[in-house]
Amino acid sequence: MDSLFILNASGAPVLEKHWCDDRAVRRAALVVVPAFARYLGSVAALSDAEPVWGAPHETVCVHIQRKELIFLAIVSREVPPLEVLEVLEGVVQALGEYIGRLSELTIKENFVTVYQLLSEMVDSGATVTTDTAVLRGLVPVPSLVSRVIENVSGIGIGPERRPNVNTSSTPWRAQGIRHASNEFFVDVVERIDAVLDSGGSVVSYDVSGDISCKSQLTGMPDLTMVLNRPEIMDDVTFHPCVRRRAWDAERTIGFVPPDGQFKLASFHVAMDASPRSLPLNVRAQSARSDGVHSVDIAVDPGQCNGRPVEKVCVRVPLPQQAYNIGVQCKSGTHTVATARAPQVEWTVKSMRPGDRGLRLRITYLLRDSGNSSGNGGGAAAPPGVAAAFVDFEVAGYSASSIKVDALRLHRESYKLFKGVRYVTQSGSFQVRL
Amino acid sequence: MMNEVIQTSLARLQIMKAKALAALRKGENYELRTELNSEYKERRKEAVRRVIANMTVGKDVSGLFTDVLKNMHTDDLEIKKLIYLYLINYAKTQPDLVILAINTFVKDAEDSNPLLRALAIRTMGCLHVQEVLDYLCDPLRKCLADANPYVRKTAVMCVAKVYDLNRAVAEENGFVDAVRGALADSNAMVVANSVSALSEMSAMAGGRGDVWRLDTATVGTLLTAVNECAEWGQIAILEALAEYRPASEREAEGVCERVLARLQHANGSVVLTTVRLLLRYEQYVKRADLLAQFAKKMVPPLITLLASEPEIQYVALRNINLIPQRHPQLLSKEIRAFFCKYNDPIYVKYEKVDVLVRICSGSNVDALLNELKEYAKEVDVDFVRCAVQAIGRLTLRHEAAADKAVDVLVELLQLRADHVVQIAAVVLTRILRRYPRSQFAATVVQALCEHADCIREPDARAALVWALGEYSEHVAGAAGRLSGVADGLVEDDSGVQLALLGAVVKFFLKNPQQGQQLVVRVLKTATEKCANPDVRDRAYIYWRLLSADPAAAKTIALSERPPCRDDVPALPEPLLAELIAELGCVSSVLQKPARQFVYARTDRAGVPRGVAGANDCDDDDDDASAHPAAPGAAAIAADGEPELLIAL
Repeated sequence: MDSLFILNASGAPVLEKHWCDDRAVRRAALVVVPAFARYLGSVAALSDAEPVWGAPHETVCVHIQRKELIFLAIVSREVPPLEVLEVLEGVVQALGEYIGRLSELTIKENFVTVYQLLSEMVDSGATVTTDTAVLRGLVPVPSLVSRVIENVSGIGIGPERRPNVNTSSTPWRAQGIRHASNEFFVDVVERIDAVLDSGGSVVSYDVSGDISCKSQLTGMPDLTMVLNRPEIMDDVTFHPCVRRRAWDAERTIGFVPPDGQFKLASFHVAMDASPRSLPLNVRAQSARSDGVHSVDIAVDPGQCNGRPVEKVCVRVPLPQQAYNIGVQCKSGTHTVATARAPQVEWTVKSMRPGDRGLRLRITYLLRDSGNSSGNGGGAAAPPGVAAAFVDFEVAGYSASSIKVDALRLHRESYKLFKGVRYVTQSGSFQVRL
Repeated sequence: MMNEVIQTSLARLQIMKAKALAALRKGENYELRTELNSEYKERRKEAVRRVIANMTVGKDVSGLFTDVLKNMHTDDLEIKKLIYLYLINYAKTQPDLVILAINTFVKDAEDSNPLLRALAIRTMGCLHVQEVLDYLCDPLRKCLADANPYVRKTAVMCVAKVYDLNRAVAEENGFVDAVRGALADSNAMVVANSVSALSEMSAMAGGRGDVWRLDTATVGTLLTAVNECAEWGQIAILEALAEYRPASEREAEGVCERVLARLQHANGSVVLTTVRLLLRYEQYVKRADLLAQFAKKMVPPLITLLASEPEIQYVALRNINLIPQRHPQLLSKEIRAFFCKYNDPIYVKYEKVDVLVRICSGSNVDALLNELKEYAKEVDVDFVRCAVQAIGRLTLRHEAAADKAVDVLVELLQLRADHVVQIAAVVLTRILRRYPRSQFAATVVQALCEHADCIREPDARAALVWALGEYSEHVAGAAGRLSGVADGLVEDDSGVQLALLGAVVKFFLKNPQQGQQLVVRVLKTATEKCANPDVRDRAYIYWRLLSADPAAAKTIALSERPPCRDDVPALPEPLLAELIAELGCVSSVLQKPARQFVYARTDRAGVPRGVAGANDCDDDDDDASAHPAAPGAAAIAADGEPELLIAL
């Protein structure tokens, strides 16, 4: 990576950082970034811009778009773009953790922190670390208190809290951590990604999940977690603290936990082990008569061990030319957005198994778009509703049926209080029309 | 009295105006200079911040060099970091003045705080100024042997910077040797950074391997370190291992087995680099069962990448696109994972469809056709074209799919959506050309005729005309339709004109009585009135052929033609091998070899910068002409911005 630019949505640089020689800096700032900005202007929507783009002067622009900011890396050597993308993602995460909401303004206000972070994360173009736990040791977090003190008195409280580096064999956990009560919480969060056709049958279906933990333990505890069906996880990635050997040999997760929140593992469940019953059955139909378009959506509770399905939300994006939008539903609340992207959002707090199914009917008229935007001037595709998106959450249910069987503590003698929660959510759950 | 008051206030106003103008003339830098020299610590601190803030938005604050330097002696780490940042930016413009900062650097490099020691050594390296080099050697030597691994790993990276600046100094002081020694360091992060530094130096030296060559013993230590260090270090080590040529088959197997666990990493780049290593090692490992096992292990992590952010998906898909060209069957069971979601960005959708066509096997072709039919009903005109074309490509690859594909396409024709009809017509005739005498010719031609009024675009009309000529026996009124097209012959697109010539000749040969009048009319119009020389020439040829020897004309015009082939742009084998060797890198994403876009830096270290720049351009021009780009690459180049010529 030669240079990193943070651009605003119109392609103007907010902040730049370079790791290359003078000539390349000027080339990047004068030629490549303007060329990239023009490229952004040339695509239909900002999000259509290809993340890896061959730029002039034998350079390559790699970018991601987050929160109305564009994080652009300029590369002039053969590197894995995925590495660059992951670094950019890491930068976004770290900045988010340090300065909160990312925007042009907050970046400019906190540029001192941003620069310190960037120089710790990337050294002469090679990535050093993106782990926020490590970064916190190197760059102090600008806390609200210190900022207030500084603004009032004009004096920083920097020097007395010298950051330090942890170079022990467990770099993720500092020595001598103490807690009054020793607690360890586990959240097994699973996401169902599914595409259904309009009749409600499954086109593609996928379950993935995270095991997130919150650790408040004294000293250097060594934990072993046993799962009920580790064999159905076909792709597992672990936090660096997990010992691979134990997993490979006996499928148990052995680790010395970091302090605080962390993601212990993410997993993906093998297709053939996936249950074919969904927590919600959704069908959607669109029709047209006498120029009135309608969309009918039916949501029926499915099977999830008798747990209620909560926070059900159906989003139906309508074509841009839609007007006179009417919604009929017996329960739940709905909102209609009529601005540039018309959309109907329907929320139902909770559905219990055995409940009667719920129905939603949307009707709308289509404004004549004058000359259609399709090339050639002929009648382009009639705009219609192509998909509905469904969100939901089921507490206490695990779609993959993975459970934490046991959590054992070694090396420390205190009693450990542990809690495990299961949640299944919708990932990208969509119904075609 | 009144007058006097007015006079004084006017005078005051004038003074204020003069002051304001003076301030403007002196500018913000003047004000900052005063602040930087303030006696109050906090005001100086604020001033340094403002200087850096100005620097980041591209204002020139190099004039404040000495004033900023004065503030370098401070306990405040934040201010120190900011001033170091300022130095890195402006050292090259004021190399003589940098010497003033050396004392502080040397002192900081011996501080009790390891963070400060590392910061000092890193900054000195980043200054990239010859003048600093002499003062850098001693601290660097100490830091390379520091007790703290954080300092050691920073020092190792600094050696690469020294090497870039002056190879002789780096070699003579034994710095390069020290980095080689650091490969055996007890801390995995230091090992990883040593690998990065050595790879970088080796690239600067032209990759000839005199800086660094892996041997069996080092490979062993690297394999241990790769499990312990952070993700970025893992990538560096895996890349180095991928370049390594194992001494024996046994060793190659061992390396593969030990890096397999890296496939299960949350970082997608680690996964792809591991996949690259495994694919590269395929040439060294001979045991078929092991190879199959490795290949099988690659699949789930690649599928998992498809659940990440769209940008990562895109890069993953561009790489996955290459894998089936080497291992056609590997991903065919995972076809559903590549189905498009409605809200995928358009660039992800195109890649998914392309991968789908490549990985589809005969057994799941039906499911894929149903899926593509859904895509063809979407709103985005270009994506619909892509989906319908994919149906065609799929059918050309799998004969078993032909019946179903024709059903799907005819169904799409019946939607009578303008853009779908055009492309579906073209694709249908392509399928007929591939499977010529098959039972569905009648269905296809009849369906086309039924929707002939919607068929509007030149390509689609040429396809329709071709089908009418080829299968005139299957439709009623073919002569009438051809005659209708012939009416507008002169103004028509040349593709349609050529298709019509062929069609009327075939029609005439099959039905001499019915077709005679038509063929004479068309040939006459084409030779006399058409502007396009190709059309005229072909019309003359047909005319002479028909008048000289009708039997010969029959054998030529109605002969069996070779079936048309799958038009998926397959990459040529040498390029494919090169791209697979670079899997996960920029070249495999842009699908053109590195030498065509990478800024050549190999031989630059020793050459004065201006000269190097001129050479770069020449080299690249040669390369571009010598190596024809892949089809995909050409498209990218054409879409790209026109080259800007700004003298740098």
